[in-house]
Amino acid sequence: MLLNPEILTLYILNILFVLFSSIAFIMSLKIVRKWDANATTKLQYSLEKQSYLTATIIKYIFYIKLPLFLFFIFTLDKISFVLPGAMCGAGVVNASEYATPLLFLKIINLYLFAYWITLDKEDMQDESQPYLKQKFQLFLLFYFLFVVEIILETLMFLNIDITSVVDCCGAIFSTNDDTYLSLVLSMPHSLLLTLFYGNFILMYIVSKLTQAKLFSFLNLTFIFIALISLVAFFGTYIYELPSHHCPFCLLQQDYSYVGYLLYGVLFVGTFEGLVIGFIPFKEDELQKRERVSLVFSFVYVLVVTAYPLSYFIKNGVWL
Amino acid sequence: MIEFRDVEKHYDNNVIALDKINFTLKEGEVVVLKGVSGSGKSSILSLIAGLSKPTSGEVIVDKKHISKLADHFACTYRRENIGFVFQKYNLIPTLSVKDNILLPLVPVNLKRSELESRLSEQLTLFNIEEKKDTLVKNLSGGEQQRVAIARANINAPKIILADEPTANLDEKLSLEFIEMIKKMKSQKRTIVIATHDPLFFNLDFVDRVLNIENGKLL
Repeated sequence: MLLNPEILTLYILNILFVLFSSIAFIMSLKIVRKWDANATTKLQYSLEKQSYLTATIIKYIFYIKLPLFLFFIFTLDKISFVLPGAMCGAGVVNASEYATPLLFLKIINLYLFAYWITLDKEDMQDESQPYLKQKFQLFLLFYFLFVVEIILETLMFLNIDITSVVDCCGAIFSTNDDTYLSLVLSMPHSLLLTLFYGNFILMYIVSKLTQAKLFSFLNLTFIFIALISLVAFFGTYIYELPSHHCPFCLLQQDYSYVGYLLYGVLFVGTFEGLVIGFIPFKEDELQKRERVSLVFSFVYVLVVTAYPLSYFIKNGVWL
Repeated sequence: MIEFRDVEKHYDNNVIALDKINFTLKEGEVVVLKGVSGSGKSSILSLIAGLSKPTSGEVIVDKKHISKLADHFACTYRRENIGFVFQKYNLIPTLSVKDNILLPLVPVNLKRSELESRLSEQLTLFNIEEKKDTLVKNLSGGEQQRVAIARANINAPKIILADEPTANLDEKLSLEFIEMIKKMKSQKRTIVIATHDPLFFNLDFVDRVLNIENGKLL
């Protein structure tokens, strides 16, 4: 069992989250079952008061969970120093069988929780609260994902054996293995770059055509293409090492913590783009979100592009 | 304009403040709610203002279901439609007359010229121009009540609610207050006054007197 101030902080927060989210779950269940928007009964007025409180509890849990993901990544990176063989967070992920599913679940939950916050905001802006029942129904589902995430996180920290030697990121993200990951990392760079820049250009064109669903879909594909091209191609220029494909080392001081910037802008850009396909926003709000999405994705494209270009200008060759 | 449908209001300690109340008030009416302390008058005012919600039943103002509004929408409704005059004036003693009157317009974000024009109109209407820079704590009770009325009226609300407005005033000042209510009626405001002051019960400009006893309309 591994315990340091960061892990202890996560444990304490998780206990509080479980407590408050469970209260919110019980109240949500009651609201979903008994809500009748047109009723003027004692029960309905009581539910209206409770719905405001419940939504506030959920909103603040999710507001804290979003930046807490960065703290979780920071924690992985920090505890890598005590694991023999680990050079960054990748080694910690490799140290527990629960870590990889946890990481994927955390990323999915990030988008889901941000979606709930957006839905709640839209609901609160309309006097008729059109999404009230829907947002609490969704929370009933998200609650289970939320609890599973907390269980996995606890199991992961409990199962890390600090005496066992783990693989470093160089071995995990190697292109020489016979794994799917190696296959993805070995994709031809020309194909990767065509997909990456092509996807971004398509997003820009579709935003002009105001096709919300298509724009949303392109943002979904951009998440995967951006991450794969970062690990397989752009990352090697950030490290200035053609064989290094780690998505975690980017978060270290040696690389100016550029990973936090890249993952942050990629999340905001793709989330704002994705969400317009799921909520029927008013025209001005839709356009605002499309603009925000494009600006953040453009910043991502600019930053990752700057690394190979500056390497080429400095050295006159590509890696 | 204002409609109460089967409105019940219970408080936590099992007190029944209103018991299945039904009534309708027309636009521009001046209505006096008559009743002893604890009869439910203030509960009616706070329901009209959207300050509290009924336990059951419906409060409808201008076809809007006030009792169903979420708190942040109730705030907007109040800001745009309601002027409140309190028994103890509820002014800010360390601010001047001018600043107290302008207070409801702070969230509205009007231009300076518009603010000046509205302020000047209220100062003239309620005859307090010469006191506009005086701190409220240095005013007499009657003057403070005039400031309170000007403050309630400055955002041109459709409805003025007054809760025991003359309880702290002598007869002369109460008659002055009644004159001011008359002025507001001429501006087509709907005015609801909760009081047990007999001065209000036989006034020619009062359209209706509603008697309340133990949370019921008689």
